Amino acid sequence: MNLLRGFATTLKYLFEDKVTVQYPEEERPVRERFKGRHALKRYDNGLEKCIGCALCAAACPADAIWVEAAENTDEERYSPGERYAKTYEINMMRCIFCGYCEDACPTEAIVLEHEYRLTFSDRRDSIYTKEMLIDPPPPGVPGTPQQTEPGRYTRSIPEMKDPL
Amino acid sequence: MTETVTFYIDGQAYQVAKGTNLVDAAKMHDIDIPVFCYHPKLKPVGMCRMCLVELGSLSVNRETGEVERDEHGEPVFRWFPRLQTACTQVVTDGLAVRTTTEAVVQGRNSILEFLLTSHPLDCPVCDKGGECPLQNLTMGYGPGESRFLIDDKIRLDKHVPLGELIYLDRERCIQCARCTRFCDEIVGDDVLAFHERGRRLQIVTISDPPFDTKFSGNTTDICPVGALTTADFRFGARPWELQEEATICPHCPVGCNLSAGTRLDRDAGGKKIIKRIMPRQNEWVNEIWICDKGRFGHHHTRAEGRLEQPMLKQNGAWVPIDWPAAYDLVAAKLRQYGDSLGVLAGPSLSNEDLWELRKLAGLVASEPKLGVWPAAMTGGDLVAQVGVGSGTMLRAVGPETAILVIASDFEEEAPIWWLQVKQAADRGAAVVVANARPTKLDRYARAVVRYRYGEAVSVLNGFAAQALKDKSLTGKLSESRVAGLSQLRAALKGVKPAFGDAGRMLLSAENLIIFAGGEGLSVAQHRELMQAAANLLILTGRAGRANSGLVAVWPGANMQGAYDLGYSAEATQALLDTPPRMWIIGAANPVAEDARAARAITGAEFVVATSLFMTPTSEAADLVLPRQSFAEREGTFTNGMRRVQRFYTVQGIIGDSLPDWKIFAAIGERLNGPKARISAGAVMKDITAHVPAYAQASYPRLAQVERQFPLVGGDDLYYGGTAYFNLSGLGLAIPPVAEDGSAQLEVRPVTVDAPASTDADLSLIPVRVLYDRDVLFEPSRLMHHRVPPPSVELNQADAERLGIADGDRVAVEGDGYQITATARVDGRAPAGYALLPVRLSSTPAPTTPAACTVRKIGE
Ligand code: SF4
Ligand code: SF4
Ligand code: SF4
Ligand code: SF4
Ligand code: FES
Repeated sequence: MNLLRGFATTLKYLFEDKVTVQYPEEERPVRERFKGRHALKRYDNGLEKCIGCALCAAACPADAIWVEAAENTDEERYSPGERYAKTYEINMMRCIFCGYCEDACPTEAIVLEHEYRLTFSDRRDSIYTKEMLIDPPPPGVPGTPQQTEPGRYTRSIPEMKDPL
Repeated sequence: MTETVTFYIDGQAYQVAKGTNLVDAAKMHDIDIPVFCYHPKLKPVGMCRMCLVELGSLSVNRETGEVERDEHGEPVFRWFPRLQTACTQVVTDGLAVRTTTEAVVQGRNSILEFLLTSHPLDCPVCDKGGECPLQNLTMGYGPGESRFLIDDKIRLDKHVPLGELIYLDRERCIQCARCTRFCDEIVGDDVLAFHERGRRLQIVTISDPPFDTKFSGNTTDICPVGALTTADFRFGARPWELQEEATICPHCPVGCNLSAGTRLDRDAGGKKIIKRIMPRQNEWVNEIWICDKGRFGHHHTRAEGRLEQPMLKQNGAWVPIDWPAAYDLVAAKLRQYGDSLGVLAGPSLSNEDLWELRKLAGLVASEPKLGVWPAAMTGGDLVAQVGVGSGTMLRAVGPETAILVIASDFEEEAPIWWLQVKQAADRGAAVVVANARPTKLDRYARAVVRYRYGEAVSVLNGFAAQALKDKSLTGKLSESRVAGLSQLRAALKGVKPAFGDAGRMLLSAENLIIFAGGEGLSVAQHRELMQAAANLLILTGRAGRANSGLVAVWPGANMQGAYDLGYSAEATQALLDTPPRMWIIGAANPVAEDARAARAITGAEFVVATSLFMTPTSEAADLVLPRQSFAEREGTFTNGMRRVQRFYTVQGIIGDSLPDWKIFAAIGERLNGPKARISAGAVMKDITAHVPAYAQASYPRLAQVERQFPLVGGDDLYYGGTAYFNLSGLGLAIPPVAEDGSAQLEVRPVTVDAPASTDADLSLIPVRVLYDRDVLFEPSRLMHHRVPPPSVELNQADAERLGIADGDRVAVEGDGYQITATARVDGRAPAGYALLPVRLSSTPAPTTPAACTVRKIGE
């Protein structure tokens, strides 16, 4: 009797919609608030939002982030603030995708986005460097470092608007 | 003993010495009265009003004189109607304070809210963020929310260089005046000031060059906000990311205790490196101050060009070899040349290094010649006899102590001692400066004694003769305890007391500290100077007591240690007179510094040098062994006051470098010497067993700490600044022989040579400057602005006679040396002398006085 009931269930699902996704040929969209791989953001003028404050690293419960800061100059400017991240690395093998870094960031520079295909065959490759994390500059806008006119960026922390 | 008084904090009675500042008194009993402008090392000004409390006093019945009590028998207090600043209040008997009432809480809250109305929200990038008194006190006592709009905040300059070392952020400044008061009160340099008034009040530098003081970095430690930051550290790390390691400054004989903030660094290949140097509190040594050389001069620990492998010179080219091959080679050469071996120990070799080097030399020679470098001063053995006694604390001396600084440009040679002696003068100590030329300490001296170069000894003899006239001073001396007394008495008979006023000041105080430098003296003359100083101290019974005794202002961090372990400048002189066939040079650069040494070393058959870099000395060697800097290893230095202090491993090792002691011990093993010890601590144990003076100086003993006052560092950031708690050891002061009342002492009449007259134009006097081109300092590029170009100072008359004007290029020549330099005619050089700052030129010059000619050369 039980056996029959089991087969009946199987039979029923044979005629229902398929739920299996043929990953990686086929991908399903993630939820809006999904927390995947981080991206370092830029302002519209191409300057980096990150000011190298390392608060993300301090907030990270998994100790996955490593930041080393340096000072901007008008000749070589990375961010509109006083300092920028010279080194920015996240060890994806340590990261638990909690999003605390995003919460801690005073300039909304680090955002957990929707990318979840994080595979590597070497532990060293799990370290994502700044070059890998940072968004490309908007089309037609130069990347960093930029040369900027003196006296334009004088704040330690840029105002939270796009400093255009 | 000082009188103690009873006072009340929040109803609780406490005892404290009369006259104690209220904030300090509370702190002593672990009660916090938050402050911004008050600092325990500065005079109170009452500018910030953060320390508001309710003040009152015991209510005393006028008629009976009895303390009034309420129905429970508790004393009754009368309170001031308004809040008062605690920092401007001295504790008196019956004083009462309330620190937790509603009014006080409100008061603090309002002050913080007020301060924050014009303070930027820079915490995320501010170098002080994380160890900031303003942050901490806001968290502890602040309103939590602001009623003001951030957009309305005042905008001021955020990047104002105060010189090339310190940056000022005007928005962050809360106008507490700690920085200006530090410069005025503690240092006495007129360099920072307030400009304008009210909210436009600004810190400005009023000196040229800007912020021209050797102590500028300390202002960043005591600034209660991130308004002052150092160019060296700026954004190097966040404070909470740093690992603080304890170490000792390797630059001068003061031996300041340092805290090295370290962090792994991508650019350094992932190694742990020093990001910043800060003072570590040691009230016996540097209190909470350090000079800018110690703070910024750490870049040699990881600079480009650090040697990473042993290098052997083969047919004029350098080839790397491995350590065992290097050890074998040195051992073979030692077997060959052991009977003609010269050893030169550099000024910053640790005691462990010196000990193993001495043991190594002892394996091949029965009486090895152990020389020190630089060989400009001597008499460490006399310091061991009559040095300052146990309990000496320079920061505590006052009118009962006289201080004589002789033959030294004190600020250049020992900056923190200078700072402390200057403050001792402010407290009433009689400071006498004796030198052949003006120095900065003259300003604070009660008396200044001028002599001619070479005659320093006669000044001391004059004082001694004066002392002999006063039976109350010298009457109690017993012939049996002091050998040579009658000869000395006889020799001093004919000496006329000179400089009577200075002598009276020095002799009338209870204690006498003599700081003896070596300016203008040959090694032989310097021995006479040290002996004359020892004579004076013994004659007057001033030797071997707390805050009394002889201190040598050595040209290096551990030269007293070298003397204690059997090295001497006389040995160096003997070696230079008859150069040996083989040299072992440990961490010294004589070839670059001294023409005579350069000749003696280049002429040898085999030279092995341990070094951090390829210096002229390593270039002249046959084998160069990469040594570790003070940051990569453990060890001990003995400072000029004979305090043995431990430094710890701070950063990652560069290449295959090894500590000197290990190198020497490994070579010794190949010569059938004892097995190499496994750690620096074990080497020290060996020293404690064989050197009686160091018997107590074991590593655990040196690591002991005690509670110091003022309490600074740790959680008390707001109070003392960011200087750090000392958790790693206050070191051990080795008592001088004279402290043992029954020990035999010895005096000896000293000879005064008339200054040798030569037919040469001028006498060349090597003088020391703090910012030089020493191997340990040159790699700190930030400081290059402050390192003067090679120069020679001439007297006005001499310059005119030679047709030389200030700023001219000149050639300075003499027996076996020639250097080019810029002439300075600024009134400091006495007639007939040319002052040559050492370690500035890359061409070797004499390190002790010599004859010279100076002539102008074309552009
Ligand atoms: S998501 Fe969480 S675990 Fe991952 S880096 Fe950010 S803070 Fe760290
Ligand atoms: S990502 Fe944000 S929190 Fe992290 S260092 Fe950059 S600015 Fe600071
Ligand atoms: S710079 Fe710092 S120490 Fe100087 S007045 Fe301003 S807040 Fe005070
Ligand atoms: S005073 Fe001397 S020991 Fe102290 S920090 Fe300066 S150079 Fe170093
Ligand atoms: S007014 Fe007392 S600490 Fe500033």
